[in-house]
Amino acid sequence: MAEAISRRTEGTWADVYRDRWTWDSVHFGSHAVDCYPGGCSWRVFVKDGKVVREEQAALHTPVEAGIPDMNPMGCQKGACWGHCHYSQDRVTHPLKRVGERGQGKFERVSWDEALGDIADAMLDAIEDQGPEAILSLLTPEVGAAPARLFANFLGTPTTDGNAEFQDFSPGWHLTWGLYNPVSTMDDWFLAELTLIWHANPVYTNIHWYHYLAESRYNGGEVVTIAPDYSPSAIHADHHQPIRIGTDAAFALAMCKVIIDAGLYQKQFVQEQTDLPLLVRTDTGRFLRGNEMMAGDREDQFFWWDTRTGSAVPAPRGTLATAGVDPALEGRFTTTLVDGTSVEVEPVMARLRRHLEDYTPEKAGEICEIHPDNIRQLARKVATRKTKIFIGWNSGKYYHGDLMERAMALLLGLTGNWGKKGTGTRSWAIMGMDGGSFMARKAGPGQEEAQKLITQLMAMRRLLTLEDPTLTAEMTQNRAAEAAGELGGMGVVVPPAFVWYHQFGYKERWNNPENNDPSMKRTFDEYIREAVDKGWWDQSYAKAYEEVEPRVLFEAGGNLLRRQRGGQKLLLESLWPKLEMVVSCDYRMTTTGLYSDYILPAAQHYEKLGNSMPSVHHLNFVLCDRAVEPLGEALPDYEIGVRILAAIEDRARKRGMREFKDRKGNVRTLENLVATATLGGAMREEETRFDESIRDNAVYGVLPKGTTLNTLREKGQVRFTGWGTVGHGISQASTIKEDEVHNPLRWHTEDKVPYDTLVRRAQYYIDHEWFLEAGEELPTHKEPPAHGGAKRRFMMTSGHNRWSVHSMNMTNNVIMNTYRGEPFVCLNDDDAAGLGIENGEQVKLVSDVGESLLAAKITPSCRPGQVIVYNGFEPYMHENWYSQADLEPGHVKHLGLVGNYGHLKYRMFSWQPIPADRAVRVDVERVA
Amino acid sequence: MATLIRSNRQLAWVFDLNKCIGCQTCSVACRVLWNEGEEGAEQQWWMSVNTMPGRGTPKDWESMGGGYDANGVLQSGQVPTPEQFGGGWDYNYDEVLRGGHGRSVHLQKTAGSKTWGMNWDEDEGAGEFPNAYFFYAPRMCNHCSEPACLEACPTGALFKREEDGLVLRDEDTCQGNQHCAGACPYKKIYFNEARGVSQHCIGCFPRIEQGVAPACVRQCPGRAAFVGYLDDDDGAVSKLVKKWKVALPLHPEMGTKPNVYYVPPLAPAPLREDGSFDEGGDRIPPSYLEGLFGTEVHGALDVLRTELDRKRRGRESEVMDTLILYRWKDALGHLDRDPAEIVWE
Repeated sequence: MAEAISRRTEGTWADVYRDRWTWDSVHFGSHAVDCYPGGCSWRVFVKDGKVVREEQAALHTPVEAGIPDMNPMGCQKGACWGHCHYSQDRVTHPLKRVGERGQGKFERVSWDEALGDIADAMLDAIEDQGPEAILSLLTPEVGAAPARLFANFLGTPTTDGNAEFQDFSPGWHLTWGLYNPVSTMDDWFLAELTLIWHANPVYTNIHWYHYLAESRYNGGEVVTIAPDYSPSAIHADHHQPIRIGTDAAFALAMCKVIIDAGLYQKQFVQEQTDLPLLVRTDTGRFLRGNEMMAGDREDQFFWWDTRTGSAVPAPRGTLATAGVDPALEGRFTTTLVDGTSVEVEPVMARLRRHLEDYTPEKAGEICEIHPDNIRQLARKVATRKTKIFIGWNSGKYYHGDLMERAMALLLGLTGNWGKKGTGTRSWAIMGMDGGSFMARKAGPGQEEAQKLITQLMAMRRLLTLEDPTLTAEMTQNRAAEAAGELGGMGVVVPPAFVWYHQFGYKERWNNPENNDPSMKRTFDEYIREAVDKGWWDQSYAKAYEEVEPRVLFEAGGNLLRRQRGGQKLLLESLWPKLEMVVSCDYRMTTTGLYSDYILPAAQHYEKLGNSMPSVHHLNFVLCDRAVEPLGEALPDYEIGVRILAAIEDRARKRGMREFKDRKGNVRTLENLVATATLGGAMREEETRFDESIRDNAVYGVLPKGTTLNTLREKGQVRFTGWGTVGHGISQASTIKEDEVHNPLRWHTEDKVPYDTLVRRAQYYIDHEWFLEAGEELPTHKEPPAHGGAKRRFMMTSGHNRWSVHSMNMTNNVIMNTYRGEPFVCLNDDDAAGLGIENGEQVKLVSDVGESLLAAKITPSCRPGQVIVYNGFEPYMHENWYSQADLEPGHVKHLGLVGNYGHLKYRMFSWQPIPADRAVRVDVERVA
Repeated sequence: MATLIRSNRQLAWVFDLNKCIGCQTCSVACRVLWNEGEEGAEQQWWMSVNTMPGRGTPKDWESMGGGYDANGVLQSGQVPTPEQFGGGWDYNYDEVLRGGHGRSVHLQKTAGSKTWGMNWDEDEGAGEFPNAYFFYAPRMCNHCSEPACLEACPTGALFKREEDGLVLRDEDTCQGNQHCAGACPYKKIYFNEARGVSQHCIGCFPRIEQGVAPACVRQCPGRAAFVGYLDDDDGAVSKLVKKWKVALPLHPEMGTKPNVYYVPPLAPAPLREDGSFDEGGDRIPPSYLEGLFGTEVHGALDVLRTELDRKRRGRESEVMDTLILYRWKDALGHLDRDPAEIVWE
């Protein structure tokens, strides 16, 4: 009988299946995209010259004893990425627009013709107005970045991604002066209490979610705090259904409970935070060194020594309290250098008074949460290793900075950072030095890399001559502020200024109707003051009052899908100014359809590179070239170099050898390719990539001796150091071979000061604008009525489950796993009231636009809430208007502060960012 | 009519519904591997994940009948229609992207169902805000020990492998009369009109032959899926199903003795009318879970709660440690070979 049965799987039908699961070759692959920087290592299977499938490599070895491994990291999008190579929206040849912009009529042209025209448009723009008239947009697809090589040479500003795609946690920066300290995801396992707050990891962290479920099985408790019963709530122990935009009140009420019950960690608070620092009761400003002693620093702050009964300087060089027991309560009198007496009190005393507005009963009313729920959770936070699992949702609220500051206060009071299983998370990258520093080396070879890094470090040491208390974090940040050293992307600017003057936002941001009532003046007056006072001098803040953009270069991004404020604004205000719009991409996006040229980029298995270097798992992951690019598509680096060659060529033909940029720098148009490729030595993608890996080993980012071959053997290599670009140093902990990573340990364990104005975690911001707005301490404010005060619904959003931004939204395999069309979630009672059926087409309307979507009806959605997950291509909607077309795209004026300690611009850091959450809309039936 | 062969060993799957996040990586892995791009297989998702409660795929499958009645009599059940399976979508990419029509056209479905899809009611669930509830359930062929499909098949195309208990179909013999699809109470049998044969999950037998776990298990990023022989007492599957009885078959009353097991879902504490937590209350109605997994579900949930509590008190728990899955390979049982090591001659 056994034989008979076995024979059944010997049939031809069985061989068809067996044959389907075979391959000619297998390669390591990944996706150089910004998902959450995953950098999942995959095996890519190739048959007959085509990618047939991929499967997670699953080669992670456990890092720390007693903690689950990271296998098999990778999601459904990665599991069918190969399909995108051959999808009908793939671009395989250079295309030139022949119809109207947006019409979708293109003809094939040669690379030479396309790049010649683009180079001419760039040179025209430079001759006409200067290189600032070319806009290069920093988009999250890192794999596409090399296509923007030209920006490094022409002095063309690249817009800062923090605002461009609005991924910033301003509250973390205000508190710690750091860019997103995060732990590795295996550290999540160690939390005793995880608050999933402003995040939906079931959608956005598919590859890592298991650590949350496993932490629960390990005895941890999971609580979700969200307006809707979110998909991430289903596996929680408790779900707190909070009213939209009231999270700061919730956090502050917990802070009050903790302080009132005496549950706060006194030593942690005294040492790590500004709560003991003295504030003058007459001015509301910190007591400062130059007020206390002639010639002392303005940025010297004081606390009250309870033993000596006097105001003494809080040390700038360490967090250690050194025998002082700083007062956290009381009012004291001290004498200033001019002999006057002033009354002072610690920030903590002000905080206690401030929190009187946030009793659990009052906050319960605001948040629509039972006060007992607040009390119970507060006590848990105070007594357990607590982690706030957060994404970038809070920062997208207009007052998200306040929410985040309130959450940071909760963690600070309870000592919940700088040890395993605690802290916050968001998104972080690191260690991109090898590629970024390439063009700064004097020549090829690792000796040159060694020379460069020695030089850089020497320059940083120079900074400490002036102030020996500067920490490694501080010198790196000061260097970044001064030289734009980060990223190797040339000049990077906060885009708010070009938006204001050239994108059409001026009228909107100055419209008093529905705007933030804490603005005492017009937006124009604030921006004028900020610019006139020189707070943004490095950032072309004035330039765009005059310079009109002429060329827009979008590589790997999709501006018309992404821009908060909508397509109408862009197409009416910006597009007519543009002589040349270029989309460099492997797929046809809505922005591509409105472009003059589309340049076909290689897909992720057709080029060589690494995935976004991710702090979350600490591995450098190889994306190998498994197949040749389709058609005439080219790797982004090859495109970048060819654009430089075209610029050189066209400049030579018009006799243009050099030009001056706005800052007076003379920039050459000769030998661009030679300079970019270290005299031709780095002309080939493979040579260059190998060199960047070898250099990374020199820079201490990867183990000594790592090469491309090492990566081809192993697929990934664990990082050994943070590097000096990519914000790694914001992690402020040392990478250990056999431990999970938790950030800020330099501060909590080694007592190294923070890079904030007061050198401690700073909850009190005494800048005049913050005082004017009543935001010197974390506070709750209702979201402004953007979209229309009288509209009935509030729109929230978030990353979707099915796509990295819009990249996979049109992947037919993925589309068949959801409704396959744009939709909006509505509460069942709301839908019934409006007479809307499940699946019916509805119209969402705000003051700035409208969008047509299918209704998805669910009791998980909060009454009065509509959820539109973002990422749908505009061209997936009838009339092509999507969720972003409902968003006015306001920026908060306090983001313009630029003269206050850590509130100063450097790349990927403090700057005005747009809000897009809690937009007011109406929902209408479509007849 | 085929005679049922008892297998010597039985391969079984366990899905932990407290770890499943509905991401469909299992579904996509399966589809890309076995039938993406195949003519006639446009609607086929041998593995699919649905939000429960929900109408699922095919639409309303739970009321379509099949299986065996209490007396062991085969029920013919309903054969799902292509419209009930839904999906199968293709789109007018060319018209939108290259047609020159601008905004007058947008990306729309040009093939397949207009009203349903394999995951149409994703995240809708049931209940009333704020006490809404739902969870995700991956579904595939149950490779049943009493496969109704096999008994219903008039051509003998279906058979149960002796060595591992997979229920497979000899597609060379299958004549596509779809009696199997009517008899299957789980409605996981599809019909390929282009080829005139029925098709269903093949248990990744070509992978199993090479010592590699099925794609749905090996590619589950939620680490919610386990595979292994039921008689392998040291394996995770056996521990969860037999020793601790925390993994249960879906709709056991259908009488087919399925070999896919589920760790039933816990849920957050519900809120009382005044907004405070009802700690002992049930967000998911127990009667609903009983309808899915039988009365055993209460015992399974009790074990889960007890063991969770042990861990919270710092005690050891074999069940929790098994579900935590410290070493991912433990989910793969004996099928832990890395497929990339295989070199085809």
